[in-house]
Amino acid sequence: MTIQQDLALEQTDLDIGIVALTDCAPLVMAKHLGFFEQWGLQVNLHIQHSWATVRDRLHTGLLDAAQMLAPMPLASTLGLNGAKCDVINAFNLSMNGNGITLSTALFEQIKQLNNGQEPVLPLDSSWIKQIVQNKRDNGQAKLRFAAVYPYSCHLFQLRDWLSIAEIDVDNDIEIIIIPPTEMTAALENDEIDGFCVGTPWNTKAVRAGIGATVITSCDIWQEAPEKVLAVTSQWQQQHPNTFIALLAAVQQTCEWLNSTANRFEAAAVLQTYLGEPLDVIAPSLIGSCLTTQNGTPRNIPAYNRFISKDANLPKLSQGRVLLDKMATAHQLPHDFTQAQKQQLLKDVYRPDLYKSMLDMKKKMTQLGDIQYS
Amino acid sequence: MAVKQKKSTTAAKLLTVLIIDDNMDRAQTFEAALKDTPYLVKHLAHTSVSLLKEVEKTEPDIILIDIESPNRDTIESLSTISAFNPKPVVMFSEQDQPDLMRESIKAGVSAYVSGDTNPERAKFILDVAVARFNEHQGLRNELSDAKRQLESRKWVDQAKALLIEKQNMTEQQAYSAIRKMAMDNGQKMEDVAKNLISMMQLMGGAK
Repeated sequence: MTIQQDLALEQTDLDIGIVALTDCAPLVMAKHLGFFEQWGLQVNLHIQHSWATVRDRLHTGLLDAAQMLAPMPLASTLGLNGAKCDVINAFNLSMNGNGITLSTALFEQIKQLNNGQEPVLPLDSSWIKQIVQNKRDNGQAKLRFAAVYPYSCHLFQLRDWLSIAEIDVDNDIEIIIIPPTEMTAALENDEIDGFCVGTPWNTKAVRAGIGATVITSCDIWQEAPEKVLAVTSQWQQQHPNTFIALLAAVQQTCEWLNSTANRFEAAAVLQTYLGEPLDVIAPSLIGSCLTTQNGTPRNIPAYNRFISKDANLPKLSQGRVLLDKMATAHQLPHDFTQAQKQQLLKDVYRPDLYKSMLDMKKKMTQLGDIQYS
Repeated sequence: MAVKQKKSTTAAKLLTVLIIDDNMDRAQTFEAALKDTPYLVKHLAHTSVSLLKEVEKTEPDIILIDIESPNRDTIESLSTISAFNPKPVVMFSEQDQPDLMRESIKAGVSAYVSGDTNPERAKFILDVAVARFNEHQGLRNELSDAKRQLESRKWVDQAKALLIEKQNMTEQQAYSAIRKMAMDNGQKMEDVAKNLISMMQLMGGAK
């Protein structure tokens, strides 16, 4: 019996959307290593250039599944900034992976305030607070930062980091939206003073000598889900078995990505997808956060995490944290009740489907159909 | 119908259209088609210049962007996150993709131009985009005005209830007191109400 028959797959050809970031590795490597095929799936990966097209193509079924920012399924289901569409998350693709990079000019200003010495990293945001105040006193323009999308952990992490120093993130500074691939160019052209973005774009800015990565997302939030594997609720209901097979293949890849040797291989493969060289892609994958062009890298073992104990299991508590962050960023309706919140989390977060996948995998392994490391 | 009248007078003024597209032929065809219309075209290849700087400099009335452009997220956020005024956005697409078109229109895109669109229709499409955008903005403003009023009434009601309870006022007295304070201090009733509430909570807590 073939695996297609065993699993009774409703659909075997899948179109999956990805964005050029290090944490598309579980999807890219599942294809490259033939794990999708092992589970009876023929997958075409489609690189998307904006989160808006990821959203629109997933909603309309032009994509069967997509790599999404963790808050996006909540935003879609609520119909924020676009059409309302029930999107579910049954699998966390990655944890952490973001960093905040300041322009070389801003970093130099901080050094001056610190008597010419490099400040301690991860950077205390009260340095930024001092500069914000100086700028206000001298009647200069506000500092301008960028995040990748309104419904992104990047925006929330940036806001949280600056808020620790009691910077009023709604008034003291400006935050604009720039897609990840355009970030370094914006920093180089002095359009922004800093950004929060996912790897490898922080590393690229440091390598190019245009910025200093002063803090990573895991210094700000502990172990936060970053990207999720999203499908519409409708698609999952129409293709329950295919969905489970998809989760199984991706989980197998996340396990594979646990080994450092394999991560080098992943970095090499990602070059084609990201259009960046190995020395830009590899550092974060092996737990190294470049800081300044000639500075000592920081050792951040969890910089890109694809699996740890239960890391892939989506939890309602994770969604609740995101909803709180969204509320702080004025993204939720004022009259959103606790009961509505709870219902939304139950609709979007589907640990039950993740668990079905684990059960199915166990059964298949016992049958000897699938061998995986 | 009065609304429609107003729109046609705005369209008589010169409107700046910012085209963000790497496909030079397509952009130029569109630009040529808009000659001798009230639309003044500026063209950008998205990889060459900074989009936001250009938006700040040009202050376009309409933005025309390739659906595949990474700048879509930036354009979309202009209406939600920053101080930029929202603008009508028209999308270019190689193929005719009705579903995708429907979806992006829900996300705030005002019109769509596909690969086989006759350039002669360019002006018509922009007219429609401006009209649709204005209508959408009108609804949005009405909705947020209504929400704000509701919010403000909630505070005033709460302050009134506290005055009635703690100061033994009648409802009318409480309302007049809040209104008088607002007028005397040149503040909004909502702000007076908020101050009163926090002050009374403070005093209540201190007892």
